[in-house]
Amino acid sequence: MSGSECRNYHRPTSLQEALALMAGAEVPLWPVAGGTDLLVKDHRRQMPPGPWEMMSLKRVPELGGIEADGDAVRIGGAVTMRELAASTMLQERHPVLAGAADHMASPQIRAVATIGGNLANASPAADLAVPLLLLEAEVEMASCGGDGGPNLRRVPVAGFFTGPGATVREPNELIRSVLIPPPPAGMVFASHKPGTRPAMVCAHASAGLGLLLDGDTVADARVAFGALADRPVRGPLTEDALRGKPLNEETLERASETARTEVSPITDVRGTEAYRRELAASLIRRLIRVCRT
Amino acid sequence: MSAELEVSCIVNGEPVMATVRPAERLVDLLRERLDLKGTKTGCEEGDCGACTVLVDGVAVNSCLYPAAEAAGREVTTIEGLTGEGGKLHPAVQAFVDLGAVQCGFCTPGMILRAYAFVKENPNPTEEQIRRSVEGNICRCTGYVKIIDAIKTMIEKGVE
Amino acid sequence: MSNDAAPKIPRESLIGKRIPKLDGPERATGRSTYIHDLVRPRMLHGAIRRTDRIHAKILSIRTERAKSLPGVKAVITADDIENVPFGHGRDNYALKGDKVTCERDEIAAVAAETEAIAREACRLIEVEYEDLPPLFSPEEALKPGAPLIHEKHEGNVPFRYDYAHGDVAAGEQESDVVLEDTFNLHFMTHCCMGSSGILAEFDARGGLTLWSLTQVPFLYQRDMSRIVGVPPERIRVIQVTIGGGFGSKLDIYPFEPIAVHLARAAGRPVRLLFNRHEEFIASPTRQPTEIRLRCGAKKDGTLTFRDAHLVHDNGGRTSWGATTPFVMMHCFSSLYRVPHVRFHTTVVNTNNPCSGSMRGYGNLQATFAVESQLDRLAEELGMDPLELRLKNCLEQGETTGQGMYLETCGQRECLTTAANSAAWTEKHGRMGAPEPHLKRGIGLASMVHVGGGAKIYHSDGCGTILRADDYANFTLITGSSEIGQGSETVLAMIVAETLGVPLERIKVINDDTAVTPWDVGVHASRTTFVAGNSARGAAEKARAKMLAAAAEQLGIQVDQLDIRRGQVVKAADGEVLIELGKVIRKLHFSKKFETVVTEHYFEPSSEMQNREFKGNVSPTYAFGTHVVEVEVDTETGVVRPLKVTAAHDAGKVLNRLGIEGQVEGGVAMGLGYGLTEELVLREGRIQNPDFRDYKLITAPEMPEVEMHFIETDAPEGPFGAKGIGEAPAICVAPALANAVYDATGIRFRRLPLTPERVLLSLRAGRELLPRTSHSPSAAEPDTP
Repeated sequence: MSGSECRNYHRPTSLQEALALMAGAEVPLWPVAGGTDLLVKDHRRQMPPGPWEMMSLKRVPELGGIEADGDAVRIGGAVTMRELAASTMLQERHPVLAGAADHMASPQIRAVATIGGNLANASPAADLAVPLLLLEAEVEMASCGGDGGPNLRRVPVAGFFTGPGATVREPNELIRSVLIPPPPAGMVFASHKPGTRPAMVCAHASAGLGLLLDGDTVADARVAFGALADRPVRGPLTEDALRGKPLNEETLERASETARTEVSPITDVRGTEAYRRELAASLIRRLIRVCRT
Repeated sequence: MSAELEVSCIVNGEPVMATVRPAERLVDLLRERLDLKGTKTGCEEGDCGACTVLVDGVAVNSCLYPAAEAAGREVTTIEGLTGEGGKLHPAVQAFVDLGAVQCGFCTPGMILRAYAFVKENPNPTEEQIRRSVEGNICRCTGYVKIIDAIKTMIEKGVE
Repeated sequence: MSNDAAPKIPRESLIGKRIPKLDGPERATGRSTYIHDLVRPRMLHGAIRRTDRIHAKILSIRTERAKSLPGVKAVITADDIENVPFGHGRDNYALKGDKVTCERDEIAAVAAETEAIAREACRLIEVEYEDLPPLFSPEEALKPGAPLIHEKHEGNVPFRYDYAHGDVAAGEQESDVVLEDTFNLHFMTHCCMGSSGILAEFDARGGLTLWSLTQVPFLYQRDMSRIVGVPPERIRVIQVTIGGGFGSKLDIYPFEPIAVHLARAAGRPVRLLFNRHEEFIASPTRQPTEIRLRCGAKKDGTLTFRDAHLVHDNGGRTSWGATTPFVMMHCFSSLYRVPHVRFHTTVVNTNNPCSGSMRGYGNLQATFAVESQLDRLAEELGMDPLELRLKNCLEQGETTGQGMYLETCGQRECLTTAANSAAWTEKHGRMGAPEPHLKRGIGLASMVHVGGGAKIYHSDGCGTILRADDYANFTLITGSSEIGQGSETVLAMIVAETLGVPLERIKVINDDTAVTPWDVGVHASRTTFVAGNSARGAAEKARAKMLAAAAEQLGIQVDQLDIRRGQVVKAADGEVLIELGKVIRKLHFSKKFETVVTEHYFEPSSEMQNREFKGNVSPTYAFGTHVVEVEVDTETGVVRPLKVTAAHDAGKVLNRLGIEGQVEGGVAMGLGYGLTEELVLREGRIQNPDFRDYKLITAPEMPEVEMHFIETDAPEGPFGAKGIGEAPAICVAPALANAVYDATGIRFRRLPLTPERVLLSLRAGRELLPRTSHSPSAAEPDTP
């Protein structure tokens, strides 16, 4: 049974109201969009002791929507995985993100889980982190700013995660939106989360690649790793092993071996360090192949 | 002392006024307060889909859905999937006829998920059909006849 | 006289048709009441305080804080009850007062107004321990000087099994090739979707009603009587609809007498339910074992001997896992013809979770070893794996070395049917793959299992009472149980078929020991066979009585009459003579005043095995062959099963829909065993007690399943049927591993073939076992 210490469930209908609640909270106030991570935590009795309250973000219109913002795309923090996967705009402009959203958990979870929740929960295996890192997205956070409207600040996704379950988000901040800049023209993206199932897998390793080719040479590369460190990370050494090099077997070998040593995975029930390093190496090869075709 | 909340929603077509605790789950509201025992709990962590219900026509895990969030929404449980004149709903009939029911514990959640899927996807691919119930675990059937039942639902169309 | 205008009914049969389960609508509409839905007036909720330590003496238990929590009505520990030892090893107790020996051990229990309060009260119970040196593998437990987990089991070995036929030494002499392999089979568990629970209630006169999930209600009634101290005739067992069984409900587990003791202490009914976490921690597992297997053959492929040495990890408390050698013997002695066989199992106590009965009951483990090694043997001999099996195939009329008489035997036909349908010869060693990083392979394996129960108890029988009402509706009261597998429907079909009435006229009652005749229980694939024959016997008696009455009423000879669709007709042309209900009413309300109520107890012709484990333990045997095709992704280690071609000797297919469901479900379970399911243990604790990290097969992972049913018509089976409830789970994993060998050249002797194991092994060029996986034997081979 759940919820023995939760005292209240707020349902603000505007961003201002939500932020004011957060600013004025006397006990820990947990913003809830999908609630799927929070309610599991509660079920496992992992919530901190003492009273706490929930605040639903489902009726805050400013947190919805997937819109073009010039060449960029703005995604509201409470947009669900299901909406991300179904968005024709994302399927056209950023299929790597739409695809990752479609392979998270289950349809039931995707219907309620949100991009903001996925980021704020900050699992090193967070499904959207790898594509967002590749796309060099920014996280826009809002806090209560009094009459002048909310205070906003933006942090690149690469700097957003600080450790397992930890981010730079302050307790009084909400993830208002995620901004995706236009990628370099011609860059092709791919990501892969290996497993026996298409979704329903808490990643034990995942990787993504953005590849810009100039003929047969790598003009630019972006590499991101999930579940292979204490947070989702870019792989600058692996990128260096690719950038400016011809795409031949020697480069593939060097890049995948760099990936093997660049990542810092742990051993846990989902896999050993050795296996995860092997996957990192393997995934780079696979992603290069996928990007080329 | 936690505040109790008034939740007004529609469950299986009927208006409901319920008092719930702040972190109460939709599954508790349904099973304990409304005595709708057809919705089952298999894991209480969103990993098995046995507790699947429809909220505004969308399949969700009721073990992870706050009851308070159901306010103003329409909830459909297996009890709400009925056919004309006391007959079985076509989705339920398909599962029964095709042998997709063995112990039956996963079945209400499975049927509701399949029903929501078919309504949204009248012309899915084989892969989409298989993935439609990827969040619903069945230990008895091996899923073969469940997939057959979903295909029958697609062929016949469901209301 | 004949009447051309009268309607005529042709002969029809239900046998082999696709019949939806009778209880399908109830279950599918959410109306069935599972234990989680069951409520009794004034019911309390029970919860269990389990141990914090793995192997320890209990120094003190403090319950005051629990007792004073508002809403708590009873708190019990071992001191509060008559703590009767139970279980096959007599080493389990409802509550542990002296020591704990595994993660699940129960120390105290609470009954309270709500489950939340009961669980909270459990958290307030403080226990002091003195740790004892733990033993996490049979190897550790067998070392001289190792601490004793249970004093009564000397050397930590509660049981040993020894079997032999022929002379293994002589067999080895005759061999041109001798192979030896060690196989390690892992911990995995049932994962019924409906978790465990029980509701216990005493009535005003001290009688006890148990709403239970048991699959063996009469044995349960008798055993519970001894454990909780209520005379058996005062115990009524009502079987609640269960959310899956798969063998998990064959034993009595501590939570069950605990609920009774709580009900007694509180003076109110108590319902105790497991949540999923508890279900993982406290349910039995499949028996993990290490199998050292030697076999030999002549160069023409004739098998000469098998020598199997097994070590079972029995865990901290004994359940039915300790008896799996009894079934494993059948595989080692009789899977294909082997003239010389020796088998030994040492069952060893450890502080790991204990294992129980699980679909297949040891046969999966044994078949994995035998069929993996046979493939290796084929390679050594330069023979096609199929040819090697056909060479040593069992034949109808044969008696195996263990005394199993194969009155019917579909093994050859299963092998050839599955192999031909799967295009074995074209594919074996030759499967191409669509992309360079993918490899494909095909493998096969067969199984043999009892097909009509196993006579391990004084009676392997089942009783039936059949009652007609005045309108030709029939109630079938059977001792057997429906555990979701469709037995109720099959029994109704058998009765409807025998009587000649529509299926809708049959109602089945099967869930109350106060009403039903005796049955030993649902296990060993016996229900269709034994309960089916019992039902058929009662139906034949009823039919005879009704036809005799009709004959007298109509003035026509009995052998000229038949019953079809509930009408009495002329046998020759089906002309309708009189409606069956009328016949019954005439019989009832005439001077005879007779009603139609019949009974039949069926005891199969099997024998109990003698002290050497020899004898015809089952009246019939089921055979099957699976051919599995896989695709291995050499970049990720993922093994994707593409297709399973299954051929099963089922004697006769009764309910085509039902039997297909059993095969498909069994294949899924076998695939889980072979590919994805593993309980990861570390120092006696399960590291993945949830569905997130214990991976069951989901819909996208199922391959195409093609089924063929070989009908060998078992003479003693109802309409020729054999039981195959377990068969389809048994040979999937070895076929899968053999396919992976065909694809990659890597021989796997341990399961499951997770992506991690496969990927690292591919890189190393041989099987590796990474550190996180539990191994029943303490010796870890290489880690990279």
